[in-house]
Amino acid sequence: MRLLRLTWAVAANAFSESVRHRFFTLFFVFAFASVYASVLAGVMAVDQEARVLADFGLALIELTALAYALFNAASVLLKEAETKTIYLVFSRPVPRWAYLAGKLWGALLTAGLMLAVMAAMHLALLALRGFGVPAFYGWALAGAFLKLAVITAIAFFVSLFSTSPVSTIVISGILWTAGHFASEARFMAERVPGVAAPALKGLLWLIPNLQIFNARDAAGAASALPPAAFAAAGAWMLAACLGSLWLLSRKEF
Amino acid sequence: MSARAVSFSGVEKTYRRPGLLGASYNTAVKDLSFEIPAGEVTGLLGLNGAGKTTIMKLLTGLLFPTAGSVRVFGHSPSDAAAKSKVGFLPELPYFPPQVKPGEALAYFGRLSGLSGADLALAVRTAIERTGLEPHAGKRVSEFSKGMLQRLGLAQAILHKPELLVLDEPVSGLDPLAIHDIRGLLAGLNAEGRTIFLSSHSISEVEKLAARVLILVKGSLALTVKRAQWEAAPGGLEAIFVEAVK
Repeated sequence: MRLLRLTWAVAANAFSESVRHRFFTLFFVFAFASVYASVLAGVMAVDQEARVLADFGLALIELTALAYALFNAASVLLKEAETKTIYLVFSRPVPRWAYLAGKLWGALLTAGLMLAVMAAMHLALLALRGFGVPAFYGWALAGAFLKLAVITAIAFFVSLFSTSPVSTIVISGILWTAGHFASEARFMAERVPGVAAPALKGLLWLIPNLQIFNARDAAGAASALPPAAFAAAGAWMLAACLGSLWLLSRKEF
Repeated sequence: MSARAVSFSGVEKTYRRPGLLGASYNTAVKDLSFEIPAGEVTGLLGLNGAGKTTIMKLLTGLLFPTAGSVRVFGHSPSDAAAKSKVGFLPELPYFPPQVKPGEALAYFGRLSGLSGADLALAVRTAIERTGLEPHAGKRVSEFSKGMLQRLGLAQAILHKPELLVLDEPVSGLDPLAIHDIRGLLAGLNAEGRTIFLSSHSISEVEKLAARVLILVKGSLALTVKRAQWEAAPGGLEAIFVEAVK
């Protein structure tokens, strides 16, 4: 119970610091502009306005939330080390795993809030144009959140060995992009001749398959995310967290 | 309470800096052995780079010794049992600019295991003791260096630690703030708390400490008791200069 309270204290503080940051407000202005851009794209689509407005809006929501989540995850641990705030935390009886879990929890709460507010803006725009809520909408948002959760956990891991937030964002961004081409990469790896094939296949295990979280791509308009998607997200996050904990437990400040 | 608050036994700390052509190593402290008696104010003096901050970080569990052992009230500094008895004020403490002192203290209080009415009382008491009451409604961004230092001290005493580890507690402060902090530390020591402080200011250490450790290039050059420097011509300053020359 004490450890849960500790973890929650770190999470609540991380969430509160994030939403009070100037950058968060700026991001909301940018998010609104991005979501509003989907209206323009929808209008240009003429007959397919509802579909383009929904798809384009969701894609922009996901990309905007991803950009913020990466920035947040890449800078949060590094900033605490640079400002020496971490001295005040780790000189107290706070286990490193509780700190890490709290920071991740806080980052996910922030990402969740960002998704929720952007979705509200998007749904308001859909309603304004006279369209209802698409059947797959909730699952698409859930998929986007799972992707953010996986990539945030990976960015935390990368930030513990990379030299700057920029390199963390770049590495995590590459993994996010590669994660959307996981099945294509697997297909190509199976056709690579010689000894490179097993090495390439092994390397692919390091890239999370983010395609399984795309509810919009699945057959059927209201397709729910399969339980395997949740299990995969949990497994990827757990692996990234264990890696982060291994690095953090050896880190000196 | 144990008679020894802290003990260092044959401690060495070497920093490893990775480079393109292999790692470079820098030994910050070596073969360091000393004890800090419980209930006493012990000062740590040394030139820049002598290893003062390294010692502070070793005994708060922020650094791990390369060799030897550090014990805090008989525990490893990384143990929760040791950490719950320690309050640490690092040099130039940082607090998020948008928070008020009460919010910052409440967070650190929660991390120290306080909650509910105990937390509220601890925050109120720490604010009162450090003289931050008139500034309680301000945000940290409006704080002067002296007020930040007081807030740093407030977070260190929040959970009533048995040992206070203070890295340059009066660095860059005006005379009134120094006077207030000195009074506060003397009061805390009178309550039986052990204080271990590092400083560049010999006169400050001289006023507060019962014993002073003089560190030269990572090694303990001298341990001086109050009676010794009071009897010496030139006082502690003369002893320090002689030791570091």
